Amino acid sequence: MKKIITVTVNGTEYESAVNPNMTLARFLREGLGLFGTKEGCGVGDCGACTVIMDGQPVNSCLVLAVEANGSAIVTIEGIGEGGKLHPVQEAFIEAGAIQCGFCTPGMVLVAVNLLENNPSPTENEVRQALSGNLCRCTGYQKIVEAVERAASKIVCGERAGEL
Amino acid sequence: MLFLPRFDYEEPRTLPEALDILSDLRSDTKVIAGGTDLIVNMKKGSVDPARIVSLKRLKGIRGITRKKEIVAIGSYTTAADIARSDVIARSFPVLRKAALSLGSPLIRNRATIGGNIATARPAADLPPALIALGARIKLRTKGTNRTVIPDVFFIGPGRSILGKDEIITEISLSTLPPFTGADYIKLGHRAALEIAIVAVASRITLDSPDGVIRDARIVLSAVAPTAVRALSAEGALLGEYPSDELFAKAASLAMNDCSPVSDIRGGADYRRDMVRALTIRTLANAYREACGQGVGL
Repeated sequence: MKKIITVTVNGTEYESAVNPNMTLARFLREGLGLFGTKEGCGVGDCGACTVIMDGQPVNSCLVLAVEANGSAIVTIEGIGEGGKLHPVQEAFIEAGAIQCGFCTPGMVLVAVNLLENNPSPTENEVRQALSGNLCRCTGYQKIVEAVERAASKIVCGERAGEL
Repeated sequence: MLFLPRFDYEEPRTLPEALDILSDLRSDTKVIAGGTDLIVNMKKGSVDPARIVSLKRLKGIRGITRKKEIVAIGSYTTAADIARSDVIARSFPVLRKAALSLGSPLIRNRATIGGNIATARPAADLPPALIALGARIKLRTKGTNRTVIPDVFFIGPGRSILGKDEIITEISLSTLPPFTGADYIKLGHRAALEIAIVAVASRITLDSPDGVIRDARIVLSAVAPTAVRALSAEGALLGEYPSDELFAKAASLAMNDCSPVSDIRGGADYRRDMVRALTIRTLANAYREACGQGVGL
């Protein structure tokens, strides 16, 4: 039997009837048309389906949509503002941290969440934060550099804002 | 894309309501907490429940509280919650280390301590540390309450004494005596998203910083159908002064306290060798911690 859920996605509240066997990843893609969330392995090993759920990055392929009832979700579509890219997205482009792009939404969301909680992470902290996200183009070095670049961008941006 | 089979979903609001639902003892029911194991198994087809009961809305089974000498961890507490808890870091650093070995940061944000116990996987990360620390597991049914130790909870791979109508509600730990140290080392091919080839948790308590070993526990994981205590190795440590030779002797005994299988992750002989190596290392680290101020003070 379908269940009615209310989920806030990227600041917009949605009410929807979902089957219990619908995962959050499928709900975002097929229910809301937010195709930025990718599904790779489907079993929590690759991190391509990462979304931020109530402030924490999770594998949306392992979360039932019914379990997201009442939660606030941020997907890759929700981090830019007014058509502008998020500083982490800009840094990914500048550092050449994107190859095929399939892992990128998950990588970016983990990085955004890391920098919100820890604005100046060490390289090791960046690598640990990204350890649940696989990149099969093997671009890890540039991804780590992109996150470090984003960190200094955000810190500098905030300092500039204070002046 | 892997699809989930169809099932009914129940989301009780209270523990009594959840226990009431489970009291019909339907064998086609599964309880879901973080879901990081259950949903994977359902997608792969190894389990196919007709009904899932979620613990998501239950109040009072998530979080870490300390009352005097007892630290209580609600069963719905995630591995990430444990890893970032000051109480755990201060009193049971070995449990923090085990929590940080589990899955990946993304998995740890969902996976719960209750789920890590209930699934009874032979290589689960939290049980070895919990056994080493002398944890107690609280179980509830509609009409009963019982407290068990993890040493007797597990029966075999995926099998435990947990009843179909039973829910794990809490894991409690007593703060450790002075001059106690512990360590957990997990051997895997990589640091994240890995199932242990071998893992060992050890804890020792000394009489005094330069005294004899008063209490010892060595727990071997992924080398038997359940996590097992290396009883002959533990026995060799009691009443003895710590030394490299003593730890080497205990580690050799530990090799015969387990029954590893050969599988895709490692051969049985290799696993036995690694039991020796990791037992020596965990004991040495536990001793170092115990000689300092120890933990739990």
